[in-house]
This record gives sequence, structure tokens and C-alpha cells, in this order.
Amino acid sequence: MVYIIDDDRDFAECVARMLRKFSGSKVKIFSNGIEATMAMNDGVPDLIFLDILLDGPDGFTFLNEMASYSDTEKIPIVIMSSLNLQKENLESYGVVRVLNKAEMVPGDVKEIVETYIG
Amino acid sequence: MESEVNGILVAAHELKAPINLLRQLAFSLDFAEDDKDIKMIQNKMISVSDRALRQVQDLTKIARLEDGLFEMEPVAVRAVCDDVARELRTLFRFNHRRLEIEYRNRTRLVSANRELLYSIIYNFCLNAMHYSDEETRSEMILSDKNGKVRLDVRDYGPALPLEVWRTIRKGWVEKPTSIAMRPGSSGLGLYIASKFSQYMKADVGAIRHRDGTSFFVELMPSRQMSLFEDGLYY
Repeated sequence: MVYIIDDDRDFAECVARMLRKFSGSKVKIFSNGIEATMAMNDGVPDLIFLDILLDGPDGFTFLNEMASYSDTEKIPIVIMSSLNLQKENLESYGVVRVLNKAEMVPGDVKEIVETYIG
Repeated sequence: MESEVNGILVAAHELKAPINLLRQLAFSLDFAEDDKDIKMIQNKMISVSDRALRQVQDLTKIARLEDGLFEMEPVAVRAVCDDVARELRTLFRFNHRRLEIEYRNRTRLVSANRELLYSIIYNFCLNAMHYSDEETRSEMILSDKNGKVRLDVRDYGPALPLEVWRTIRKGWVEKPTSIAMRPGSSGLGLYIASKFSQYMKADVGAIRHRDGTSFFVELMPSRQMSLFEDGLYY
């Protein structure tokens, strides 16, 4: 299972299409971190794609939340953002890749799927 | 100068969002599941481009406001609302939302520029679509209030952030302001609506509800109104 957390539903759908093709996994889209966190009561995902500027609490709040629970701290998280963020500053929160929304290509998603889902 | 630069940066950022999306939609064509999916992606690309172009056109209109190119005239406000609804209903439906209109006004004509009024209502509605929850309706409500004609666009979703409400309450949005809640949408739209309202000597404002927000514009009735109210033309 892969989660996409992005309040731009259309953008999330684009990434979801690629993920379904590359991984064959089920993909769930959430517009904010609160809904995604609640959904994890039924089981945690294998991978999360996260936007930073979200409705309500931002992506950083979500990262803190994930890092604080034993069952979510190890989930690989991929940031997708228009902001210029450095992965090195976010690695301690489980961030494995930072994709710039203006530059990301399907090959990035494929590579991430192969590395973290197999 | 600094605020002008900030304004340009916010405008550039907001216009970047639809371009990013178009880029991903173009990639998505290779991952479409069937012909229906391809058609849906193409429609989405057209509607995203249309909205982005409208924003760019509105920004260029702001630059031309001082030249006085936009004449004030009697405008049938219900007809403008109908036109906006016609243009946006499909987009609302695509996004699992509804757009409804409620007319409570007796006054039919307002003093405005049709093009600018259309943009204000369009921006308010687009803002409502972005901010509302899925499967909710947004409402355009026209009413008479204190000798003016008032149009409210009400959405049902998260309450307007307090700092944004304070900015609007203080008066006009003087520069494109990034609204942290959803940077891809309404900061620029509100700025555009604010500028156009100011030009037409109309008032704009926002009301916070616990379950959403109303943005409104209050317009002066046209002096030609009495002819219509007396039934000479209806």
C-alpha cells in the first residue's frame, strides 16, 4: 500500500497512476496528514509520498507525527514539493527522497518504487 | 519596491502550480488505463490551462486599470452569475463538488464593468471550489442589502485562516498574498478580486463560518435600475 498526501487532488492522481503502473500496489490519496494518520489505524503503508504545503497542519507536522510512533518511524517518506528542500535536513524524519514538483519525472517514481517496494 | 517584488514572487509561485500540474498530466497520458482515462486527462489539461490563462489575463487587466479602459455600465448581475456557473459547473463536478445559485435580489442592474465583475465572481467561486470539502455544495447568493446588491459565495469546508480574515477585514488585499492553507489557489484570486472591486467602487469582504467561508462583493445599483424595476423592460 502506498499513501499520497497532497491537497492538489489532480497532481496526486497523476502520481497515483504512475505508482499503480510501476508497483501494482494499492494507492490511497489523502488531502491532509490528519486523514492519513487516522487511516493508519487499519495498517501502515509501505511508502508515503508527501506534499509539504497542505490544508491544515503542514507536511512537517506530519513528519514529526510519523517519527514519533514506533510503527510509523521506519516508513520511507518521499517529499514532493515546489519548495527547495534538502533531503539531508529531513533524513532523521524518515525522508528518503525529495522530489521537486517542477522537475520530477516518471523515472523518479519508478526508481523509488524499485528501491522501496521491490 | 520590496512589497512589489514579494507580490511578483507570490504571483509567480501561484502560476507555477498549474504549469507543474500540466507537466504531470502530460506524463500521465502514458499511464492512462483506457481511452476514457485519456479523454479525462485531456479535459483536465484544457481546464487547467484555461484557468491559468484567465489568471494571467486578469493580472494584465490589473496593469491596465489605471488607463481607464474598463467602462462602468449597467450590468445584469444575475446573467453574469449564470454565465460563471455555466463555465464552472463542470469543473466543480470533476472535483466532486456542486455549485448552486440562489437569487433573493429585486434589484437587477448594478453599476459595474461586466468583464471585471465576471472575474471577481469567477475567482470567488474557484476559491470556494478549492477550499470546500468534497461532496459539498458552494452557493452564490444574490441579495439586496442596505441599498446595494450583494453577492456572497459561500463554501463548506475548513474555516478561513484567522490571519487571512484579518487582512481582508482591514480592507483591500494590496498585494498578492500567499494563503498558507492552499498556496496553489486563492491568494492571487483574492488580490485580483480586490483590485477589480476597488476599481468599480464596490466593497469586498469575507465572513468566517465554523464550517466554511463566505466571500462577498457589494455593488452599487445602476441608476437605470428604476426602468427595469418598473417593469418597462421585463
